[in-house]
Amino acid sequence: MFAYEQQQQSSCPVKAPVEHRFSPYTDNGGTTLAIAGDDFCVIAGDTRQSEGYSINTRYAPKVYQLSNGAVLATGGMYADGVTLVKMIEQRLEWYRHAHAKEMSCGALAQMLSTILYHKRMFPYYVWNTLGGLDEEGKGAVYSYDPVGNYEKHKWNCSGSAGHLVQPFLDNQIGFSHQREKPTLTMERVVQVTKDAFTSATERDIYTGDYLEMFLVTKEGIQKTLTDLKKD
Amino acid sequence: MDPTTRTQQPIVTGTSVLGIKYKDGVMLAADTLASYGSLARFRDVERLIKVGGTTIIGASGDISDFQYITHLLEKILIKESNTEDGHQLYARHIHEYLGRLMYGRRSKHNPLWNSIIVGGIKDGEGGKFLGFVDLQGTTYESSTIATGYGSYIAQPLLRKAVEGREDSLTEEEAIKVLDDCMRVLFYRDARSSNKIQRATVNASGVTITDPYDLETEWGFAESIRGYGATD
Amino acid sequence: MSVMEYNGAAVMAMKGKGCVAIAADRRFGVQLMTLSTDFKKIFQINDKTFIGLPGLATDVQTLSELFRFKTNMYKLREERDISPKTFAHMVSSALYEKRFGPYFCEPVIAGLEKDGTPFICNMDTLGCINHAKDFVVSGTASQQMYGSAEGLWEPDLEPEELFETISQAIMCAVDRDASSGWGAIVHVITPDGIITRTLKARMD
Repeated sequence: MFAYEQQQQSSCPVKAPVEHRFSPYTDNGGTTLAIAGDDFCVIAGDTRQSEGYSINTRYAPKVYQLSNGAVLATGGMYADGVTLVKMIEQRLEWYRHAHAKEMSCGALAQMLSTILYHKRMFPYYVWNTLGGLDEEGKGAVYSYDPVGNYEKHKWNCSGSAGHLVQPFLDNQIGFSHQREKPTLTMERVVQVTKDAFTSATERDIYTGDYLEMFLVTKEGIQKTLTDLKKD
Repeated sequence: MDPTTRTQQPIVTGTSVLGIKYKDGVMLAADTLASYGSLARFRDVERLIKVGGTTIIGASGDISDFQYITHLLEKILIKESNTEDGHQLYARHIHEYLGRLMYGRRSKHNPLWNSIIVGGIKDGEGGKFLGFVDLQGTTYESSTIATGYGSYIAQPLLRKAVEGREDSLTEEEAIKVLDDCMRVLFYRDARSSNKIQRATVNASGVTITDPYDLETEWGFAESIRGYGATD
Repeated sequence: MSVMEYNGAAVMAMKGKGCVAIAADRRFGVQLMTLSTDFKKIFQINDKTFIGLPGLATDVQTLSELFRFKTNMYKLREERDISPKTFAHMVSSALYEKRFGPYFCEPVIAGLEKDGTPFICNMDTLGCINHAKDFVVSGTASQQMYGSAEGLWEPDLEPEELFETISQAIMCAVDRDASSGWGAIVHVITPDGIITRTLKARMD
């Protein structure tokens, strides 16, 4: 009748769970997104940092404005993300010294792939989304897997709510299954981004607290912070 | 040739450390027990230390690794003071150093098995700093931080008391909330002791209390069978 | 690969103003190979009640026949149609009967109660019922459907608006799931009757 003996006793002292084998990896959750417009780009991410079922902090930014004017959104292991951004910034500086100009978005995209692949046997556990303007001033979005496989898109969402948000973007940004395909204004893209994150916050426990958005235009980069639910 | 040896598991360990921001600065608390597995091996080990003039750190996890970290910090502080360049290491710098140290060691698959809270004056501009570093190199800042069991048991209590009141919580209130949380941890964490220390950083500098005993109440146990009551 | 992902499916139901909608994809496949694109996953129980059965295809057909039998017996005994709520509990009990050797199916039920109130729910393989005020989803594209429905759904949709919403929600969801899609079917249940439409979608 019972799956266990009644009044069962353990034959040894019951131990609290102790992490025995060291794992160099952890997943800190979070969702990131980037959308390219005709002459602008929006890159966004939530600011919650989690580990297991615990929230470490409500504000740990994982979207970085790089010194060449591109914006990099990182997700996955936070410490690897921080390290990767330091690496990239160092390479951007070397590039400036060598060529007396800023690295273009396309060149950075290729370089990021190379940096990631160089750690193929002990990868950075990071899902990157790179956003910015290309040489013609058009919005550009690139997404990566942890070992450097990358692709150029018009829009992308990755991270813990990536599976939830990507179809929504296909519909609202790519207008899939819709007759009309109007031109996207920045206001519309910002609104869709906010809607995407409030929806993701409802269903994904690793997304929430604040939404940090970077609006990239030829005039410069504007950063905004919006509230998300904190539960 | 001898095989290289690595920390595969912590040996002599300290349990939770708690940290909060309050009106005048930051405050840390930890007990003084160093356990050897389930054995309460050393009952008077100080796990809160002063680093430089305006920073305190508290560590849980492997005690020998923490003492090694203490040694490294002493070394860089001496180096820094010998340069006599008028610069000083503040909490933000110590936190950054520890973050890179821990990440570097985890990347060599030879971690320093600790979770560390760093508190103090942020930088030369002033401001409060409370940050966290662990064995995987994960870093974050928050107005309340707890390590180990404290992150499950004390963190909710700390957030309730502190979040949104970082600039109004008085020193007396801060002491009470930390003492209360350490008491709850003593009741529920089998690897804790009621002998604790508190460390404070504020305008008047660093103060670390001598170890003191928490008042505990065991009256409730009398009515619980198998605890105090015999039938 | 898990049994729940062997054949692939996507089913969802949504509440509207005095109406409900239920939608499913039409793919039948074995792992990554598609075998047919007209597979039935939604079954009409009576004028006001539908059930969607995503999961292992053999269990989908076994359960649909089981519920046809059970609801026929109910009608003979009670001389009336079973209400969606009662039917949901019938399904739940039938699943729980196989608690230790379950059917690999997570049903979705949609219908209108006798007084016209919309009813939707879904279940796990053991029959644990979940009620929702907005929408329910089930199948291999469930994550995608949660995202699209959470973004597109709004309260008090009229039947035609509800049709558009659920159609857009399921189509953009299955386009991001390799195991489901290849066309979809939608039923909108209104007090005046059923609107059934099949949707052309991507075939890749």
